[in-house]
Amino acid sequence: MRRTLLGLGWVLAVTVLALSACDPSTTPEPQATASPSPTAAPAAPAVVCDDVTTSYAPDAGLATTTPTVAAIKARGSLIVGVSADTLLMGSRNPLSGQIEGFDIDVLHLISAAIFDGDPNRLQFRVITSGQRLDVLKNHEVDLVARTFTMNCARWQDIAFSAEYLHAGQKVLVTRDSPATGIDDLAGKRVCAPEATTTLDGLKKNHPDITAVSAPTHTQCLVLFQEGQVDGITGDDTVLAGFAAQDPYAKVVGDAFSSEPYGVGVAKDQVDLVRFVNAVLDQAKADGTWAAMYNRWLHALGAAPVPPASVYGRIPAS
Amino acid sequence: MTQTIAPPQPAPVPVPSVVTPKRRGALSRTPGRMRLAGVVAVLASLAVGVLGVQAGLAQSKALASADADTRQLVGIQDVRNDLVVADATATNAFLVGGLEPPAQRAKYDAAIASAANGLARLAGSNQSDAELLGKATAGLTTYTGLVEQARANNRQGFPVGAAYLDQASTVLRSDVLPELDTLVKTNSDRVDSSFAAVTETPWLLALGLIALVAFVVVQTWLARHTHRRLNSGLFWATVVALVASVAGAVVLGTTATNASQVQTGSYADTVAVSKAYSLANDAKSMESFTLIKRGSGQAYEKTFQAETAEARTLLAGVDQSLVTSLDAWTAKHADIRALDDAGKWDEAVALAISTDPGSPNAAFDAFSTAASDSLQASASATKQALSGAGSAAVLVGWLILVAGLLAAVLSWRGISKRVEEYR
Repeated sequence: MRRTLLGLGWVLAVTVLALSACDPSTTPEPQATASPSPTAAPAAPAVVCDDVTTSYAPDAGLATTTPTVAAIKARGSLIVGVSADTLLMGSRNPLSGQIEGFDIDVLHLISAAIFDGDPNRLQFRVITSGQRLDVLKNHEVDLVARTFTMNCARWQDIAFSAEYLHAGQKVLVTRDSPATGIDDLAGKRVCAPEATTTLDGLKKNHPDITAVSAPTHTQCLVLFQEGQVDGITGDDTVLAGFAAQDPYAKVVGDAFSSEPYGVGVAKDQVDLVRFVNAVLDQAKADGTWAAMYNRWLHALGAAPVPPASVYGRIPAS
Repeated sequence: MTQTIAPPQPAPVPVPSVVTPKRRGALSRTPGRMRLAGVVAVLASLAVGVLGVQAGLAQSKALASADADTRQLVGIQDVRNDLVVADATATNAFLVGGLEPPAQRAKYDAAIASAANGLARLAGSNQSDAELLGKATAGLTTYTGLVEQARANNRQGFPVGAAYLDQASTVLRSDVLPELDTLVKTNSDRVDSSFAAVTETPWLLALGLIALVAFVVVQTWLARHTHRRLNSGLFWATVVALVASVAGAVVLGTTATNASQVQTGSYADTVAVSKAYSLANDAKSMESFTLIKRGSGQAYEKTFQAETAEARTLLAGVDQSLVTSLDAWTAKHADIRALDDAGKWDEAVALAISTDPGSPNAAFDAFSTAASDSLQASASATKQALSGAGSAAVLVGWLILVAGLLAAVLSWRGISKRVEEYR
């Protein structure tokens, strides 16, 4: 009871903050690197650790009796934070109206595991990249599957499942661009979404590039198509979705970063993390994962070996 | 005729000054003084006439500019309404999916065409608004371009379409509507000062009182010097000037009262209903965005509540039936929110895009129709009241001028008769 009240208080407090973040007038205007946005601040201090992909071992298997999982089951729906505009990973199909993609399929698997085989007990909450940590910290959603890179700084605030997809940062340029990688874009304007590891990395590792931020990755594509930026940097998974929407864009170069994706969970819901890991392990083992990869990400090549789950993290409490 | 050079003339009244001895000499005699009194009376009569024609023309001009400014203001609000209608339609159609309903496409096209026509017409009718209207037109071009790009992408199933729609709405709300809001403000100030001028002009006639005082002074002086009680010429001149001034003041005053009634009546209603209509349409866009954002749209819902509350207050001062109509729609909106908040997003969207009788869209259309009808009625009432009133003021002005000339002739003749007696 006390936690519910506390949680409610948090929800109220941060809803106010979140409101300003998702204001209708959020203009995707280019922002210069010189003005660091407040949302980007938490990720800024480099927290060092050597167990980024280490999660909690799935002790209980697929049992739905642990407190958090049981509560979700009792509620009847799994509330998830997703993207609705990242083609291939999580996007709303304008023809069917449904949100679909690789991230969404992962969530369908978890829904099926909790709700006795029903993959559609998902209540979607469309969030921006910048909202991912807050909605978990405030318990507004149960899970976040939104091209969410696991890193040390984020482990301070939330928990992650085991790695379910390994992405790498690349760059998207116009079809006729001579650039063969990010290093050829010195002096150019390159877009990345706010409050992402992508934007931080771009500013840190490529000071000679003018970094332009947008509220969402897709707003970057709008700026790119309008000619306001020369390129977009992001994970190969996201850029593949952009190239699919724009025949005049191409993804170039080798991945210059390592982006392990995990499902985000609230820090105090370790039992849910363990449950999700059990679901992921099963999908990686029985070929479901490969089928999902081939369905959505075939543009990146044939399905590789699924990322290995690393366990051994011990809850803080 | 006053060539009196003879120096040793004993003046009846001592002449202290030597600056204008000749004139003083001439005026020192009764006929000269009488002529001066005549000139004063004639000038007083002419003053009444000139003041009258001035007041009449000024009031007519003020009425004409009140009429023109009101029309400009209503025109700008119409354009603003067209734009928010177009945006509400585009965002609602977007919820439907890739294939938007032809009726909604047609509604969007009609609203944009009407807005573009309106902008061109408004720029032509008032030069001082042209610059801001030009900016609004440029913003509108960007807006329609972005909406088309959103459509093209949406049609191919590309999610970047949603980003274009988002940007289109942002452009509309940052580059177009603020310009129009500034124009609404300046035009409404202009209307207010025109109405103020209409009510102030009758007071010009009060200056005619000074002329009447002059008549009384002249007649009292004349009566004392001629030992006749009344000079008929001057008497009738006074009567004519007095009647013309009073009648003129009554007519112009009535026009002023009518104009104030228009200002606080049909004009105020037009402005209030138009603003409320605009707010309701903007709120309608917000409803769609709340659903499009799917769970992250609390800010839009907050705007929705604020806008409908403001619209409600505005309508409450005009027509209770419009408030009822608005409430009927916001109740339907609450149903959509209840579904969405309960996690039934698909059902919420289905309800939001339905056009069946009893659907939120039907309730909104009913409100729109009622508001547009009320708007048209009050706008044409304002136009009618203002455009006819000016001609009466002009007529009264010219009549007072004629009366003033008549009074001038009468008073000169009245004085001349007395002067004759000295020959």
